[in-house]
Order: sequence, then C-alpha cells, then structure tokens
Amino acid sequence: MVPQKFEYAAPDSLKSVLQLLDAGAKPLAGGMSLIPMMKLRLAAPEQLVDLQKVKELSYIRESGNAIHIGAMTTHYEVETFPVLLRKCPLLAETAAEIGDLQVRNRGTIGGSVAHADPSADYPAALQALEAKLVLIGAQKERTVSAAEFFVDAFTTVLEPGEIVREVIVPAEELGTGTRYEKVVQPASGFAIVGVAVRVRRSAGKISFVRVGITGLSNHSYRATSAEATLAGTTGAAADVQNAAALVAEGIDANSDLHASANYRKHLASVHAARAITTAISRAS
Amino acid sequence: MATTIAGVEKEKLVGKRLRRREDPRLITGTATYVDDIHLEDMQYAAIVRSPHAAARILSIEIAAAQNSPGVIAVFTGKDTEKVGGVPCGASLPGLRVPHHNVLAVGRVYFVGHPVAVVVAKDRYMAQDAADLVEVNYEPLPAVADPEKALAPGAAPVHPEWPDNVAFTFHQDGGDVDKAFAEADVVVKQRITSQRLIPMAMETRGVVAEWHGADRQLNLYTSTQIPHLVRTLVATMLGLDENRVRVITPEVGGGFGSKLNVYAEEALMGWIAQKIQKPVKWIETRRENFLCTIHGRGHVDYYELAAKRDGTILGIKLKIIQDVGAYHQLLTPAIPTLSVLMMPGIYKTQNIRADIVGAFTNCMPTDAYRGAGRPEATHGIERMVDILADELQIDPAEIRLKNFVANDQFPFHTATGLMYDSGNYAAPLKKALDLVDYGKLRQEQADARKQGKWIGIGISTYGEICAIGPSPATPAGGWESATVKIEPSGKVTIMTGACPHGQGEETTFAQIAADELGISVDDVLVVRGDTSIVQYGIGTFGSRGTAIGGTAVYFALQDLKEKIKKFGAVLLESDDVTFSGGNVVCNKTGQSKSLPEVAASAYRAMKLPPNTEPGLVSTRFWEPPNFTFPFGTHIVVSEIDGQTGEVKIRRYVAVDDCGNRINPLIIDGQVHGGIAQGIGQALWEQAVYDDNGQLLSGELTDYAVPRAHMMPWIESEHTTTPSPVNPLGVKGVGEAGTIGCSPAVVNSVVDALSPLGVRHIDMPLTPEKIWHILSKGA
Amino acid sequence: MKISGSHMLAVPPERAYQMMQDPDILARAVPGCEALEKTDENEYRMKMKMVLASLSGVFDGKIRIADLNPPSSFRLIVEGSGRPGFIKGDGLLHLAANANGGTEVSYHGDVQVGGTIAAVGQRLLDGTAKILIRKFFERLAACAN
Repeated sequence: MVPQKFEYAAPDSLKSVLQLLDAGAKPLAGGMSLIPMMKLRLAAPEQLVDLQKVKELSYIRESGNAIHIGAMTTHYEVETFPVLLRKCPLLAETAAEIGDLQVRNRGTIGGSVAHADPSADYPAALQALEAKLVLIGAQKERTVSAAEFFVDAFTTVLEPGEIVREVIVPAEELGTGTRYEKVVQPASGFAIVGVAVRVRRSAGKISFVRVGITGLSNHSYRATSAEATLAGTTGAAADVQNAAALVAEGIDANSDLHASANYRKHLASVHAARAITTAISRAS
Repeated sequence: MATTIAGVEKEKLVGKRLRRREDPRLITGTATYVDDIHLEDMQYAAIVRSPHAAARILSIEIAAAQNSPGVIAVFTGKDTEKVGGVPCGASLPGLRVPHHNVLAVGRVYFVGHPVAVVVAKDRYMAQDAADLVEVNYEPLPAVADPEKALAPGAAPVHPEWPDNVAFTFHQDGGDVDKAFAEADVVVKQRITSQRLIPMAMETRGVVAEWHGADRQLNLYTSTQIPHLVRTLVATMLGLDENRVRVITPEVGGGFGSKLNVYAEEALMGWIAQKIQKPVKWIETRRENFLCTIHGRGHVDYYELAAKRDGTILGIKLKIIQDVGAYHQLLTPAIPTLSVLMMPGIYKTQNIRADIVGAFTNCMPTDAYRGAGRPEATHGIERMVDILADELQIDPAEIRLKNFVANDQFPFHTATGLMYDSGNYAAPLKKALDLVDYGKLRQEQADARKQGKWIGIGISTYGEICAIGPSPATPAGGWESATVKIEPSGKVTIMTGACPHGQGEETTFAQIAADELGISVDDVLVVRGDTSIVQYGIGTFGSRGTAIGGTAVYFALQDLKEKIKKFGAVLLESDDVTFSGGNVVCNKTGQSKSLPEVAASAYRAMKLPPNTEPGLVSTRFWEPPNFTFPFGTHIVVSEIDGQTGEVKIRRYVAVDDCGNRINPLIIDGQVHGGIAQGIGQALWEQAVYDDNGQLLSGELTDYAVPRAHMMPWIESEHTTTPSPVNPLGVKGVGEAGTIGCSPAVVNSVVDALSPLGVRHIDMPLTPEKIWHILSKGA
Repeated sequence: MKISGSHMLAVPPERAYQMMQDPDILARAVPGCEALEKTDENEYRMKMKMVLASLSGVFDGKIRIADLNPPSSFRLIVEGSGRPGFIKGDGLLHLAANANGGTEVSYHGDVQVGGTIAAVGQRLLDGTAKILIRKFFERLAACAN
C-alpha cells in the first residue's frame, strides 16, 4: 500500500494548474479514487497536481436560471448548500447518497465526474438535469452537455491537459418534483443502479420528465423512451410502470459479484418506478 | 452490595457500567501499535507474493531488485529453507501436515504465498525493489472449492496426497442408528457457512530487533498470544526461548486472526539476524485479505431425527471443512469444536459426526470469532426450524420442548461435554415477551395478507467459553496472573491473558478494587510483554475473564491473607479483618490503611511468622471445565418483495453470560459480535474463483458491516452464574456472533415460508432472495 | 469470466480473417499495443499498455492462434502478465458473411485474471473487457477502410 514515486505540486491558481497539466501532470481533486489506485500501484502518475488550494474552483453560485458549481466543491457542500437544496434538490439529494460522510467531505464533484466511474451517483442526476460541464485546458475553454461528456467507463470527452472547471445545473422551475433512488453496493457504497428523475405536471398531465440512469452499464444515460412513454400521461401507477419498464431497454448491462446483468436491469426498472412515483408526489 | 470503610459505605464496582480505562489513549490516537515502533537504523521488508493459486516456480530473478536504490538484501525460499516450518499446534489421528516453509520453495500453493522478501531503507524503496523481482511461474491446475477438491479427478493441492484429504474425524455418541430407526420424521439439509475474512482494523505487523552479542531477539508483533509466539518462533529459529522477547503493543483487533503464528513473524526474526539491523514489516490490506487466516468455510450435511411431537431423537452431521493450502496453528481443531457444539442446548443424547478436511489452493482457515461454534449453532438452529416447519410446530415451542431442563445440570452431552449451569427457557421467554411474540405473529399474518414479507427468526444458542481445561487444548488451557501491591499500596496486575480490546484493563481493575477495597485508579493492568509478564496463554475463546480473571482473583486472595498478617503485626493484634481497604483490629477498632500495610511489608522491620517480605502473588489457574453461556436472539425482518432486499426491523438479544462484571463492556461485546454475525448472514463472503483467485479481495467488494448498516439492538440479559469459577462468570466475547446468524436466516426463511422455502445459504444477498421470489411468483 | 458478443466489419470474411492474422494490422488494432512480433507460425509476442481512467499497466503478452478454419473460424489465446497481475483469454471467433458483403464476427470465450487486478478490479472487469473488445473491432474496422 505504498505508491510509486511521484512529484507533487499544489499551486493556488488555476493558471498554474493548467500549465502543469499541459506539461503532463495528472490532476488530483479529492483523491477518493486516484489515491487508492496509486497505493495499490495500479496507477502510477509521475506528477500530480493537487487542486485543493485552488480557491477559484470551489464555489456554488446562482446566476439567472442556472446554478454554477465549481469543480472542487465537495459532495458534502453540494448536499447541504441552501441554494441547491431549494433550487436543485435533485443534485443535493444525489450528493447525500455518495459513499459515506468521510468520502463526502473529501470527494469533489469535478473529480467524480471527470473520473466517470460507471457506478458513480452524480452522472444519473447530471443526465436528468441536462447539466452542462465547463472544461478548461491551457489553450481553451469549452462547454459540453452531460450527455456528450460521459462516453464510456472511465472515459469522457476530456482531452489530455483538460479538467472540469464547473458544473452547471438548472435552477428548477417551481413545481418540479425530483428524486434520486439508489441501490447501494454494500462494500463500496457505489450505486449498483441509480435513478434520477425530474417531473413537472400541467393540467393533470405529466408535462416534463427526465430520467437519468447510472450503474447499469458502462456509462450513464437518459432513458428517453421511458421519458416519452410517461410524458403526456396522468402519471397513474400503470403509466409509471409502463415507463419504468423501459429504462433498461436495449442496454448492455454490466455484471459483477454483487449483481448480474439481469438483476441490475430489474433493479433499474423497480427503482425507476419508485423514483418516478416519489418525484410525481413531490411535483405540484 | 456494600462493604464498610470506617463507617462509610463503599459501593461494589463489579457489576457497574464503568467506562473503559483503556479508551482515552485509543480514541485520542496516542496508543502505540506495531507500526508506531521506530528503532534506530530500522529497515523495511516488502514481500513478493504469488499471483497464482498453484504453480511451479521455474526461476526467481533478484538481481534487479538487489541493485535497486536502498536495498540491502533480497531473500528467497532457498535462503530460508532452514527456518522451521510454520507450526500447526492441533493434532488429530492421521492428520496430514504439509511442511509450510516461511518462503515458498519450488512451488506455490495459494494466491499470496510468499515467494521472496526485499529489505530496504524505507517502505517505498522496499516495494519498488519488490516490483523488480521477476518470478517465472509454470501455472498448474488449482482447486478452490472444498467439495470439488474431494471429487475424483480434482487437481491435487499437495501432490503427495492426491485425494486432497487433510484429515478425517469421527465421533459417535449414544445410539444414533436406533434414534433414526425409531424416528417418525427425519429432516435433511445441506447448510453452508461461507468463508469469511476476519478484517481486523489493524493489519498484522512485525518489528524484529537482534542483539547479536547476547543472541537476543526482540519481536514486536500484533498478536493475541505473545508467549506462544515466543515459544514457537524460538523453535522455528533455533533460539533459546528465554532470549526471545515478544512485545505486543496495542492490538487493533484480532477476532482470532491473530491467534496464530505466521510465517512473517519468524521471517522477520530471521532477517534481523541476517542483516544485523532491526526490520519492520507491516501487512498491507491486500496482504491481509490474502494472507491472514480466513474463517468458517464449512459445507455441512445435517440429518435430524424426531418424534411427531417434536422431540429430537438424534443428529447426524457431516462437515466438509475447507482447510486451505496448509494448516495454520489451529486449523484442524476448529471443526472439532463444531462437533462438540452440535447438539446445541437440546437434550438429545444420540449424535454422529464426521469431518473431512479438504485441502484447497486458498488461504488456510482457522479461528475466527466463535471458531466452529457459529457454524454449529447456525446448523442446529436452522435444523430445528426446518423440523418445526416439517411438523408445523411453532419454533419457540419446539425449542422449549427440547431444552435441557434446569434440574439436569450439570448436563452431560452426547459429545462429551458437561454443561455447567443453565436456564435455557429464561432468555427465550424474556425475548418472546420483549417482542410480544403472540401479537407479532398476528401482525405477521396481517402483513402477509397485504402482500408483505415479514419474518420472525428465533435462535436459542449455547456456546463453549473459557477455553479451556488444559486436556482439551493444544497448548495448555490455564491462565496466569501476578498481582503486585507496590510499597505505596498501588496495585499492578500482570495478566498472561494478553487482552487486546476486550476491556480487561477495566474489568480486572474492578475485581481488584473490590477485593482490596480501593479505587480502580489505584490498579494498573499490564499485558503483552514476555519479559515482564509471566508465561500466559492468551485471549481467545472467550477465556480472558473466566480464566485470566479467576487467576487474578486467586492471587488477590493470597495477598489479602498476607495483608492481614502484616496488618496484625502493625496493630499488634491477632484479631483483625481486612475490609474496605483497611486492616481493622476487631477489639480496638484501630485500623491501618493498605498503603501503610504495604509499606511495612516491603520495609520488613518486623515480619509476621513464616512470612516473606513483599506483597506479590502469582497464580496459574487451571479451570476444571469450560463454561457454557447461552441466550436467545430474535430477529424481525422484512423483505422487499420487488428487489429481495432484507431489512432487519427488530433485533432482540437476551444473553446469559453468568455474572456480569461490567455490563457496558458486555453490551459492547454483544453489539460487536452481532455486527459480525449480521455481516456473515447478509453481506460478507470470501469469493475465490475456480482458479483460486480471491475476487472479493478488497474493501470495494468485501462487504464489512459499518455502523449505519446496523439495526438498533435491544440488549437484555438473564443471569445464571457459572459454578466453574469463583467469579461465576462465563464469557461473552463470541456470543453475539454465535447467536446471530441463525436468527437472521431463520427470520428470512420464515418470511419466505409461504413459498415453500426451507433454507437459504448465507449471505442472503438481495439477488439470491429475488431469484427465490421470482420463482415463487 | 465468460465473454461473448459480436461486431461487424465492412469486409468479406476472407479479408476479415486475413486481417486478424496480420501482425501489422493486429499491432494497430490491439488497444495499447506497443510492440508485436511474430515468434512462430501463429504465435506473436506483444507488449501492451493498458490505460483506463487512472489505472495503467504494462503487460507482456503472447497471442496464439489455433484451430484455424479459414475463413469461418479460429481460436484466439491471449496471455499477458505484468505488475498488476495476469490476464488469460481463450475464445472462439466465428466469421460469417452478412447481407451487405461485410462480416459478422461473433466470439465467445473465457477470460481469467489474476493478481491485484483480479481482487480490486472485480467491479470493473466486465465493463473493461467490453471496452477493450469494442476498441479492437473499431480499430480493425478502421484498418479495413
């Protein structure tokens, strides 16, 4: 449990960080995934640049209809920040489900999404929220959608030298009901499956619905056929069941010691129904 | 209870919920563990281990490692061949004991098998160099499942024993054939108790220091048995036992996994001699998973014969014990404890047991909290429920019918034990009252109508503690204590039991404080250094208080007599009593305090007749019997009908461990034991694939229960003192683990009984339950 | 771990078969392949760098092709070992012409892993295997164009 030799820098400005990244350094955010891999010597970066001291990456700001979350904001901050609790409760509720308190105090939203663990919690919410991610490198800054960002297991559109700078989520319209449901893997605390749902109702019908799924396959996704099935219905139990039955449709589900592919798919449907039901009950 | 101190009532401390005196240093991070030992010029060892479960070692290239910065030595199995084998302390007729080299020679037998060791200036350099050791293997077929290992054509773990049988054991009690012939009903079930990983929070670690001029080895090691380690490591290294000093600093959890002598302990001692410098090895969590003993690993075939009224007539049991690749210290003895416990607390006098120990290409199994008793209790408590289901008798009622009756104690079991004392119905009735059993069954019936899956599980366990009388143990079953009253009157207790988290620094002080009429703050409990403490056996098998505490008690009685003699001299009277910390003259009422008497005993100006100066007594107490605690655990669980997830709604534990010295510590032991029991019932499993790779080999996949996963535990007790020792205590270190798992599984099987479910093997993973629900629906 | 799946190549089976036995093409198609040399008839030595998220490891490996049955099937045996542990794969590949003049390559086989990756990679193995195989066929497809 001792890592290989590496160089370490902890600058306090984003500019210095980007320069080091450009020169080939590996970014270290909360270290919840990278450090264990380094201790097992499965990861051996030659140079680490620690983002911990970069104050300009740690913030939660409301601006118009959006909330901007700096990459180095911890899960615990996301879980408890009043503006998020009020205006984007889905993200706060998701953050509260991550790992345990120690992990939530160290781990960061930027680090988590950049790592793109297929069982991480945030991606379900970010898909359902149609979040935007601002990526920055030494040369350029660009904004991508969550749908574009997550490519495969541990694979994102981040280019070498680029990091997530911030995550932008919408400030929910009044009356939006949301819910994150998760099946916890008992050892790691990761999601065997996680389902994030947002719904709005209008004139007794479901006028808006987003369903994000994580844990089931190699990357998170929006369950669009489930969304389409639910939209326009009254959101009655049967409607919910019909929609939920589609969340895993056509998905190449993963399998491990804790859940086979079939069971994972089943869990996704069960928990999608529960999440949708709760979200509807929270919508007004 | 109270004694008088010059007119003032002094409350007895035994029985009080005193906070643990060892905790401040533990929770403030100031305690010293092996990894906190730093010696001048200390070197670090990193061990190269096999990634294969079975392979021939074709070559080992060490040149690159030797030339790596900071490296002072690299050793392989060829260098250490003369070090004695890792010992197996247990013996059975016909036991096959493979020679267990400290570093593999020619062949590896399990993933993690040590192959080479690199010694360098620091841990980083040692690991860097270890990565450069190139071992060329020729992989061989492996077998990782005990039943597959015993099947014809299985890959032989040790070529010299192609049937993979490590030992067999047979025991008959009463007339089992007659019992089965006369039975109205026979129920049969295959029941497994899966391999578990003990998972002490502190991994193992060793620091070895060699003083060449004196041929003296100091060995710091995280163990439950420092004196036995001293004896056995001295033998392995060919050193004089009195020149090996084993120091056991704080131990961050053992649970049986440190009731052993490991290759690394001797290896570090050997390296320290070779390099003439101190050397440290701290086990990584990866190594802990792979190379510290595992627990359980049973496949059991049960048959229970009974009359239609539920009377159990006889039990047959065949145990297939997954041994692993070698015998560690007690490996073959563990399943024999299961046999001893197989009748549980039921009066049947007819048993037949067979054990087959199977070699597999896995880490050896050995003692893990409960060691053989949880497996046996799980088996019998499951079988009684299966019988109750077969006969449609309430599981509480069938138990009451078969309990050993109160007037049958001491009770001789068919397996050769003598149960000391018991009142088995008392905790069951108390637990049933606590859950309001009749009402609970009604609620269950109502819930079923609403499509809910609610189950009630009862486990009425008995167990063997205070292990144990010497004839029943491989290394002596007594325990030692030295009590010294210093000239100032302060008291030092040196216990051979080497407690390591069980709270005896507090409970032994409570005993001494009551006996001497002083404050617990005047008592210091010393353990864990073979140069300071007289020879002792150690802490395991719930023996610390029942045997070690009794040794303390008898040493205190010696000292009380001597205190009276010195007090009599000081008071110039023969008519004195010692009470409340003072020797009092019964005629004049004059008194001398313990410090005054102690000072006079050392000053020795005037000695009582036939009395030596000083106030020190050493006692080695040999118990006449084991003790047999018991209790009832009741679990109410609810199953999510859609996902198969099990939720424990209520957990009631009524434990009877005899007299209670510190109920707060007892609660802690019960809670910790139950946590490990629930861990086995619901989550934990050491999963080896067919090639002998440990798949649940890290905390990302091995589900150790954490605080937030635990139900609220309603802990209660009954008190049936043990006649075996004067303290009347029985032991409680393993009770929680032993009583727990069948209560959980019985509750889940009960919940699913409308589907005709009779048994589910642990762990009760949601997917397993979901499959049952899917099939049933 | 059992694996199975299928991928499309836009070339006829004869060409697809030939490509999958061509050291130059294999070197380009195997993800992370840093060097590949033919050591014997139907046997290759390979150095492969696997990079996945923060994980990285260099494997020295052997590829062996057996049970040749051109152009419809062959058996592929891949063995690799490195510091993170070892990987052994043994699979049967079937090539069948599809309606568009291309080839459907279906495979099923067994993957064994050992060492650290076996113990800590459990959760990731299934997904990782899928990625590597998909990448292999994507690159192979690129070579076909």
